[in-house]
Amino acid sequence: MTTAPDSSDTSSPTFHFDRHTAEYRESFLDITHEMQSKCPIAWTDTYDGHWVAAGGQEVFDLARCPHVSNDHDVHNQRRGYKGISIPLMIESEGFRGGMLEMDDPEHRFYRSALNPYLSPAAVRRWEPFVDEIVRACIDDHIESGRIDFVDDLANVVPAVLTLAMLGVRLEKWTLYNEPAHASVYTAPNSPDSGRIRDLYMNMVVDLFTNLAEIRETPRPGIINALADLRIDGEPPADIELIGMLNLLIGGGFDTTTALTAHALEWLSEHPRERSRLSAERDTLINPATEEFLRYFTPAPGDARTVSDTIEMGGARLQEGERLWLSWAMANRDPGLFAEPDSVILDRKANRHFSFGLGVHRCIGSNVARTVFKSMVTAVMDRMPDYQCDAAGAVHYDTIGVIQGMRHLPATFTPGKRLGPGVEETVFRLQKICEEQELARPITERKDSAQIG
Amino acid sequence: MHVRVDAARCQGHTLCAMIAPESFELDDVDGHAHPIHDEVPDQHQAAVREAAQSCPEQAITVMIDHLNQARVAHGSRAEDRQ
Repeated sequence: MTTAPDSSDTSSPTFHFDRHTAEYRESFLDITHEMQSKCPIAWTDTYDGHWVAAGGQEVFDLARCPHVSNDHDVHNQRRGYKGISIPLMIESEGFRGGMLEMDDPEHRFYRSALNPYLSPAAVRRWEPFVDEIVRACIDDHIESGRIDFVDDLANVVPAVLTLAMLGVRLEKWTLYNEPAHASVYTAPNSPDSGRIRDLYMNMVVDLFTNLAEIRETPRPGIINALADLRIDGEPPADIELIGMLNLLIGGGFDTTTALTAHALEWLSEHPRERSRLSAERDTLINPATEEFLRYFTPAPGDARTVSDTIEMGGARLQEGERLWLSWAMANRDPGLFAEPDSVILDRKANRHFSFGLGVHRCIGSNVARTVFKSMVTAVMDRMPDYQCDAAGAVHYDTIGVIQGMRHLPATFTPGKRLGPGVEETVFRLQKICEEQELARPITERKDSAQIG
Repeated sequence: MHVRVDAARCQGHTLCAMIAPESFELDDVDGHAHPIHDEVPDQHQAAVREAAQSCPEQAITVMIDHLNQARVAHGSRAEDRQ
């Protein structure tokens, strides 16, 4: 760290920070420790210059500060702010990422429309559905003694559940699955990026098709809620609704996969802790879930734009400047968390930042927890001696957007099948969704799914 | 012991109801938390303290009754944020 004058008159701490490099992934701990001890808020020159908040108190204050904006003003109608990505991704130029790139009151209209689909009570109704698709994923591999926890489990369950909640036919999960993950881990200069962009476009076309169908013939689900949404009496432009759906898919798929894969890998490396978690699951699964969320922070941060001058610990943040809120670094602040770099399954007072803070708190947090617990519990029950194959595990090269994994193969003592596999189960769950209208909001349907 | 959830700060993280389910309930529609009892029974006080410490938004205020009375007697704010 050096102290150098920046654009303002005061001298602010500066730090070279580039979270998109492979080195950042490898040096995450050193960078976190250095920033927290020397400059919990600092200016970096990377990506046209932006602030980086790494300290728990700084991230807490800024995330909840009325002078920071999430707005992505794609048509330059307000102040030209650039939303939640640094740098702006090429795909998101001219395209807003749903309510996470809106400020109140606009954000509030979307949030209020979606809450009854995603509240704790709303998500609880889906637990039997989630357990059933988890069972099917495991049954496809239980007799072989081999599974890839990413490809065969942690990718499948969030995808099928998200589509069910949206009101998209479940068998389409494969159409959505690859672009949802690959668009995160594929670098723009990769030879595969053209193919991934095409897959992504197919997904967007399918979302448009669903939206048009549902307008014509309503069926329950989040897409229906968006089709009915009015802001000051006016329907939002279709592109805004597609942006919102993209956000739900981006939020619903890759993050939960990332959390589950990292937790299963860690539990494989710590067999005593795995046995303890399994034996004491009734009391331990909740705090352990929060601890994995804290420690791995699947979504490591979000950008904001400063909308009015903020003075903070020797730094002077000025209107229009960009700001990175690092949930991942704040989650390692020794001022908030004892032994911050250790996984402590029964950690107390775990006020982690992994779902963000303030009005933009991850609306899918209840879905993520439910899906994660179902998958981890089923693995502990049915593959209690599993061993991950370290040589076959593939982590994302960079963790600037999502700290994810592409593959996590494992072996275990084979067991007995309990029922049909994913293909047949998805078909049956689709019928159940339709017959029981599971995708209705909690205001219209209180009962849990009946899987039978 | 009394407990309060600041509705303007609560964002529905649900940790309080996870840690102290006897003392906090969540709204069905938006998941925001409310205290169940006016007065927290003795056996639930430790969990309520932990819930307050675990709130990511620091929206929970625990008020200890004897501290309240002492502060009222000294004319200061009748609250003890923990």
